[in-house]
Amino acid sequence: MTAPIEVTGSEAEAQPDAVLKGVDRKAIQGRSLGQIAWMRLKRDKIAISSAVFLVVLIIVSLPGVTGLITGLVGGSPNKFNMPLVDATLGGPIGKLGGMSLDHPFGVEPINGRDLFSRILYGARVSLLIGVLATLVSVVIGTVLGIVAGFFGGWVDTLIARTMDVFLAFPLVLFAISLVGVIPSGFAGLEGNGLRIAILVFIIGFFNWPYIGRIVRGQTMSLREREFVDASRSMGAKPGYILFREILPNLYAPILVYATLLIPTNILFEAALSFLGVGINPPDPSWGGMLSQATELYSVAPHFVIVPGLAIFVTVLAFNLFGDGLRDALDPRTR
Amino acid sequence: MKSPKVVTSAAAAAVALSLGLSACGGSDDSGDGGGSAKFDAGSTAVVNASDKKGGVLKYAQPDDFDSLDPANMYYAYALNFSRVYSRGLMTYASKPGTAGAEIVPDLAEAKGVVGEGGKTVTYTLKQGVKYEDGSQIKAADVKYAVARTFDRGVLRNGPSYFTQLLDADGYKGPFKDKNLDNFKGVDTPDERTVVFKLKKPFSEFDQVVGFAGQTNPLPQAKDKGERYGLHPFSSGPYKFEGDYQPKKGGVLVRNEHWDQATDPNRKQLPDRIEIQSALKAEEIDNRLISGSVHVDLPGSGVQAAARQQILTQPKLKDSADNPLAGFHWYLPINTEVIPNVECRKAIVWATDRSALFRAYGGEVGGEPATSIQPPTVAGREKGTDFYTKADANYTGDPAKAKEALAACGQPNGFSTKMVFRSDRPKEKLAAEAMKQALERVGIKIELAGYPSGTYTNEQFGSPAWTKKEKVGLGTYGWAPDWSTGYGYLQPITDQDAIVDTGNSNTSVLKDAEVNKKWDEVVSIQDPAARAKIYNEIDQRVREQAAIIPNVYAKSLLFRPSTLANVYLHAGFGMYNYATLGVTG
Amino acid sequence: MGAVGLLLIISAVTFGIFFLVPKAAGVTSDDLAARFAGKTPDAATLEAIKDRFALDEPVPVQYGKYIKSIVAGDTYDTGVETIDCPAPCLGYSFRTNQPVFDEIVDRAPVTFMIAIGAAVLWLLAGITIGVVSALRRGSVIDRVSMGIALAGVSLPVFFTGLLSLAFVVHRWQLLPEVNYRGFSDNPFSLLLPWICLAFLYAALYARLTRAGMLETMNEDYIRTARAKGLPERTVVVKHGLRATLTPIMTVFGLDFGLLLGGAIITERTFSLPGIGQLALDGIYQSDLPVVLGATMVVALFVVLANLIVDILYGVVDPRVRHS
Repeated sequence: MTAPIEVTGSEAEAQPDAVLKGVDRKAIQGRSLGQIAWMRLKRDKIAISSAVFLVVLIIVSLPGVTGLITGLVGGSPNKFNMPLVDATLGGPIGKLGGMSLDHPFGVEPINGRDLFSRILYGARVSLLIGVLATLVSVVIGTVLGIVAGFFGGWVDTLIARTMDVFLAFPLVLFAISLVGVIPSGFAGLEGNGLRIAILVFIIGFFNWPYIGRIVRGQTMSLREREFVDASRSMGAKPGYILFREILPNLYAPILVYATLLIPTNILFEAALSFLGVGINPPDPSWGGMLSQATELYSVAPHFVIVPGLAIFVTVLAFNLFGDGLRDALDPRTR
Repeated sequence: MKSPKVVTSAAAAAVALSLGLSACGGSDDSGDGGGSAKFDAGSTAVVNASDKKGGVLKYAQPDDFDSLDPANMYYAYALNFSRVYSRGLMTYASKPGTAGAEIVPDLAEAKGVVGEGGKTVTYTLKQGVKYEDGSQIKAADVKYAVARTFDRGVLRNGPSYFTQLLDADGYKGPFKDKNLDNFKGVDTPDERTVVFKLKKPFSEFDQVVGFAGQTNPLPQAKDKGERYGLHPFSSGPYKFEGDYQPKKGGVLVRNEHWDQATDPNRKQLPDRIEIQSALKAEEIDNRLISGSVHVDLPGSGVQAAARQQILTQPKLKDSADNPLAGFHWYLPINTEVIPNVECRKAIVWATDRSALFRAYGGEVGGEPATSIQPPTVAGREKGTDFYTKADANYTGDPAKAKEALAACGQPNGFSTKMVFRSDRPKEKLAAEAMKQALERVGIKIELAGYPSGTYTNEQFGSPAWTKKEKVGLGTYGWAPDWSTGYGYLQPITDQDAIVDTGNSNTSVLKDAEVNKKWDEVVSIQDPAARAKIYNEIDQRVREQAAIIPNVYAKSLLFRPSTLANVYLHAGFGMYNYATLGVTG
Repeated sequence: MGAVGLLLIISAVTFGIFFLVPKAAGVTSDDLAARFAGKTPDAATLEAIKDRFALDEPVPVQYGKYIKSIVAGDTYDTGVETIDCPAPCLGYSFRTNQPVFDEIVDRAPVTFMIAIGAAVLWLLAGITIGVVSALRRGSVIDRVSMGIALAGVSLPVFFTGLLSLAFVVHRWQLLPEVNYRGFSDNPFSLLLPWICLAFLYAALYARLTRAGMLETMNEDYIRTARAKGLPERTVVVKHGLRATLTPIMTVFGLDFGLLLGGAIITERTFSLPGIGQLALDGIYQSDLPVVLGATMVVALFVVLANLIVDILYGVVDPRVRHS
């Protein structure tokens, strides 16, 4: 399924049936799915290198670590370096946007802030929002998807229609207007804590149908399986069947789609920041930098390239890893 | 140093006076379109003076007017452009330099005659002034024009001075109350006399009449209410050919019933005037440079890409002007949220003027400010700095800021919030610069951006909101309704000007001394005496650290070589649109 | 009927978000009125505006009026005369004094040109690459094109767009400034936005097509077709691709519908005056009728696109026709 905005990142629906069939065939055979998948994944060099990159990125963006690194190179992400910028035109002095050993990614136009440390701090925001929002989507999508698929009837109709409604909304517009009207102090949060919470909620909340659809479809087919019938005939309660019989069989596809939803959500966050409703300045975010760059690309083209590449590489890594993960869970599509 | 810094000084403006419009005929520079003009020449004098008739004058704008109804507009560029097709009792003088800020008679024969102890102001219409259909302009039409501004539900974009000043309480406007006799705020004893009746004396009534188009006459039969702006009935040198199409554009052609002899402030040179709206800003810049568009209507300057091109290519630079735009991008300190003057002083002391200066575009973007009133305001004095220095390299004085913090009883600093318009990159940069600077002395700032559509009304323009959210600082810019100290300072410093929504006194200043001066100044008839008081108020507000002076905005305007009679108009802060022509 | 219900729900939710959420957040009717007014409005102005636009009415009443005007049209009083706003009347913009519907119709050509041009590009490129990759599974072509495709889905338009503006337009001056000119004037004036948008989507569709083709080419009926001795080309195009197109069309319907309702990011990146930009400006300027109208139009396009896709199913997929 393509994302609702022009920042498509994953293709959660690329091959749902293939993955799902692959998944439950293994499950039925009773082998340890995890072991088999892990063996396959280990052989996938691209997926492993992506995973390594992501792990490094995550470590680097941990609160203590980022400060340690930028203490060595780059310095504080918010420190102005006026002498490094042309006073009249605003562009960085020197070649390639002022790149140097001290400032490996160059400096920002106008105020000369170090781009290397701004990119690193921006990574934290992107990852945090991307992952948390995905969690929100997964929780809502799984619960509603299972309920719809398992109970069917009017419950299913209601939830399926709700998904249709969500899919037909211009989410960007909603997100922008919601971010603007929620007052500070809402839910006891303030400043960027509140901003991040709002962004996580909005992105997560609006993306749940993508997971929801898959879970629903999968639940519907599992519901008709023999082992569920058997359980039911032995007098198991719906709750038991749902959580003990069906849910474990959904872990693998949910994991795959969650991995593929993270980059979509990172792109969504970047898009919102690009449109001016991301986290509050001066904290850096990748999309926010690109938004600034719309005014400044003529004096500082590197200001487009650096944050753009950061987004690209991170999203690509998630996509490659998610792909590898899916292939590992379903060898047929290789 | 690349660009001359001295050009926009008062001395240069004085030079400009001698080069006023009357000197145009004497110029024999008609052939080589503007080749001799240098960078910033148009800021102080007429460039490419020419009386050549004919040609098509092309305007373009990225967005659109707030309205073309002269009574229903507030954008400076719309007011400027409205003079092309519409005349009022008074208007700005069409002169370069500070003389342009003066309000002079337009349809009226002379300035308003004050009577009954200041409670009436009388104007007499000139002989032989006509509408586009050749019919006579009558006093009753002026009365009707004023009356319709009382329906604030229909004409809601324009200023509301008449409803506040005129003695016509309870009048709902001619759309609801069709009988014009019920409007008592204006009397018309004969066909050429217009008498305004005021609740109480107001010394700058000529300015109220002249800065906007709310006395521009129209016959009641021609009024289309809210949609009148789509095709205003002309009294000026040009008239609309068909309706104006919002977000698309329109065409104006010569109005043969307009008589140059009655109008020293306008010219009728081009055959046609074309407006193209909703054209991409970068594209407008490209077309300006290539000469296929003559004027960028909003007059706020070129975009970043063109700016770089112009400043780095000497040939293009000679065709550009870098005038003061009439704005001051100052930073109000909310006196309700930060009531202790010492704490406010600490903020001013810690402010990094250099970083702010750069944020607003360096020396092409502005000039470091001392007084609150920008130099374009009549009678403004530069004044002295309070707790800061009007210097592009001044980075603040943390030691003094610490002292002030100690005096305030907060030696380790305090926390507050700063807001800015999220869709204005410069304001975001400025807010970031403030945060950086103030954290040097322990003042913690949390930044929050809001869309400009609601910022001046619901957020920074709402005292209740700023109080609730504890917003101590914000970015702001102010251009006066008219270029006097009253027009500039009263709405932003007078306690009486504070309103719940759309408040402009964003410092929420309630200073007894300032209030008293405002109460007194409205009955003083001598402009010089008033200016003295305005300067005192300016000083008092800065002494109270209620406003951090920042930069007087400068814009980088480009004038294609085929554009004639170009000069900066002090009243509008952009080129004067009423006299432009095209050559070649 | 389902479509109408969907539109009703969407309009109600939109209305709720734009009217109730701000209200809950403390926005007063004075604030709303101030959005209609010019600089520093006085109290009397706010009163007059509230009165005129009935801002103090309860939200359900306002919603009822809104729906009624869509169905039955409305009239609008300019002070002197009444203007007809025929159905579907999406309200009246107080910024431009024009019916919102007219404004959207006005902006639609820009958005349509972006969406259609990009869609043609991405369908052609995406499906071709997908089919070739599937048929040459595991080959160099397959690996390279799938690599590019994966890169493509990771490249947001606001990055590729800015990059192309900075270099192709500004630095190297290979193409003029991107500006909508109208199709008859200059059919390729929006080439850059098309490419940026199409790159993103083509990558996605190539992957969808490849996966679908791999799936269908294993189906029994394909084997039967081959066994019958049909030429490989016929098997691939008539049988394989047809079945593959069905799920792609579902996705396409949604993507295309959303784009028709405003390619917000693309329009923003290239400053093109389409429906998306109109809606965005509406939000920034708090021009609620415009935002509402644009939202309704997006929803309408999505619903319509899905309807058309449903109809086309029967044409493309033999399995649907038989059942």
